[in-house]
Amino acid sequence: MKTTIATLALAGSLASALAAIATPAAAEDAKEKCYGIAMKGQNDCAAGPGTTCAGTSKIDYQQNAFKLVPKGTCVSMKTPTGHGMLEQGPAPA
Amino acid sequence: MTMSAATQNAFAIGLFSTTPPPSSLTAWNGTALERRYSVYRNNIIASLTEALVSRFPAALNIVGPDFFRAMAQAFIRLHPPRSPLLLAYGDDFPDFVAGFEPARELAYLPDVMRLEVARGRAYHAEEAVPLEARTLADVEPHRLRTLIFKPHPSLSVISSPYPVATIWAMNSGGRPLAALDDWLGEDILVVRPRMTVEMSGLPPGGAAFFRHLAAGVNLAGAADAVQHAEARFDLSANLAILLRSGAFTAFSQGTSDENRHDA
Amino acid sequence: MIPSALPRRAGVGFKPEHFADILAEPQTIGFFEVHAENYMGAGGPPHAQLGKLREDYALSIHGVGLSIGSMQPLDRDHLARLKTLCDRYRPESFSEHLAWSSHDGVFLNDLLPLPYTRETLDRVIEHVDQVQATLGRQMLLENPATYLLFAESTIEETDFLAEIARRTGCGLLLDVNNVFVAATNHNLDPRDYIARFPLEAVREIHLGGHSETIDDHGACLLIDSHDTPVKDPVWALYETVIGRLGPVASLVEWDNDLPAWPMLRAEAEAAQHILDRAAQQRAA
Repeated sequence: MKTTIATLALAGSLASALAAIATPAAAEDAKEKCYGIAMKGQNDCAAGPGTTCAGTSKIDYQQNAFKLVPKGTCVSMKTPTGHGMLEQGPAPA
Repeated sequence: MTMSAATQNAFAIGLFSTTPPPSSLTAWNGTALERRYSVYRNNIIASLTEALVSRFPAALNIVGPDFFRAMAQAFIRLHPPRSPLLLAYGDDFPDFVAGFEPARELAYLPDVMRLEVARGRAYHAEEAVPLEARTLADVEPHRLRTLIFKPHPSLSVISSPYPVATIWAMNSGGRPLAALDDWLGEDILVVRPRMTVEMSGLPPGGAAFFRHLAAGVNLAGAADAVQHAEARFDLSANLAILLRSGAFTAFSQGTSDENRHDA
Repeated sequence: MIPSALPRRAGVGFKPEHFADILAEPQTIGFFEVHAENYMGAGGPPHAQLGKLREDYALSIHGVGLSIGSMQPLDRDHLARLKTLCDRYRPESFSEHLAWSSHDGVFLNDLLPLPYTRETLDRVIEHVDQVQATLGRQMLLENPATYLLFAESTIEETDFLAEIARRTGCGLLLDVNNVFVAATNHNLDPRDYIARFPLEAVREIHLGGHSETIDDHGACLLIDSHDTPVKDPVWALYETVIGRLGPVASLVEWDNDLPAWPMLRAEAEAAQHILDRAAQQRAA
């Protein structure tokens, strides 16, 4: 492959990157920082499921997804082709 | 098969079907056992559905609970967990959703879910201390070309033709639900430098640059490769993200530089 | 073999949702119990939180996925993960269930029942021996909440557990709620079950909530749902057990529809009150 990047350009880019990050980001809350406690109101998937050794009395009535339509925020989310729905195909640039 | 092994086998097979309960079962008050056996059937499907709900809360918001649960159960029946480590269960759920006909119109949904998978992986990844910026400042300029970076164990790069990070944030309490006027693709760096999973939007060429570096390509090689493919690539901006995000934990000096002649 | 040795006090099942509240002030909690499988990731907040808890409290690691009651071989990878976890946190106790949850490589994520026969007894004993040899510690085995019985069973559950404890040296985890749930579901008197239970092997007790439904014939069917406070008849049964056994480590489990921390703590305090009274009566 033809080389275009020069040592000088690399060093220059690094110097400006170092200057750009000189302003520190906002400090995290101490507990969040140490133990990763999710912020209130944040709905985070990261922790994932906890296991259980309990059963459930709530019957999960099985529904056929082929007879349902998505009815969450996709209904109100505006996309270029309408509300939430987007036809398969090449993505808009 | 011994009697007990056969009993267990029949019990297990019946759990994912709708056939009558195995004949080896009894109760004190009669022979109708459908409801009793269904407690186990329900426990399994409900607990695994809950596991997927907790891994994909943004997707749950996007399609709503009824649709999500139905979709999750279609997945569970085809891909039940192979391990008791449920924290990794559903890594392949986005791929399933990508081919799931009832969700076909939501073309962005699988990528939002891939972002949720990356966040979950980062959350449980091994601890590692990110590279300190000043250690890079001390490298002599002529050695920069051949630096090879060690990726943080939590690092992922997600690329999508859709604004997945924005959609994710709108469905995770991070920002209000609003019209997306700029329906543009997004590349996102996911990393957990300390205890909190963080995401950085990447500028043009950034995704390829970070993927090259994470794969062990040296700094000059990664920059060259991306510059050739993406005219808008800004090395300085990407290096700032590299240093600020904690995406790498260390660097070493590569042994050779094939492109030395122009140095 | 390291013996199971939890403090003879009331503890609670730890949930990350309660971590900030627990950390906010010193808690009069005898120990915390966690599910082993939730701490098998490589790192992150789960380990940071458990490490912090471990500094201040006794710990019980409770497995929910080893499938000890399976006729198929134990998952060696999973056993190795349990060993790594126990070596890392050195818990006061490790426990698992008399149940199975994996079959032909599929994890079924529920505690499934097994017939009690000479054959299943030998297999469970083999598995308990294997676990204790691998971990280098005594384990506790928990009695299950069941919704069905097997026609081929020839051994009472209490005798089955007693024989396992006798032949392997394992301890037993007596889940009093499970006793109540299973006895109700099989139209038996839970006090008879307790009377037959090998109490001398008990090293920990579980308490939890259950919910009610009905079976195919309209009879009451209880579900071990861990989503409510401990019910009165279960407290009564617990008092009977503690009266006979004296103070023993007692855990309040709450896994679904989690309450705020003060409510869960109050449940543990109620158990502690019963333990304290038993200790006073013994001293008197």
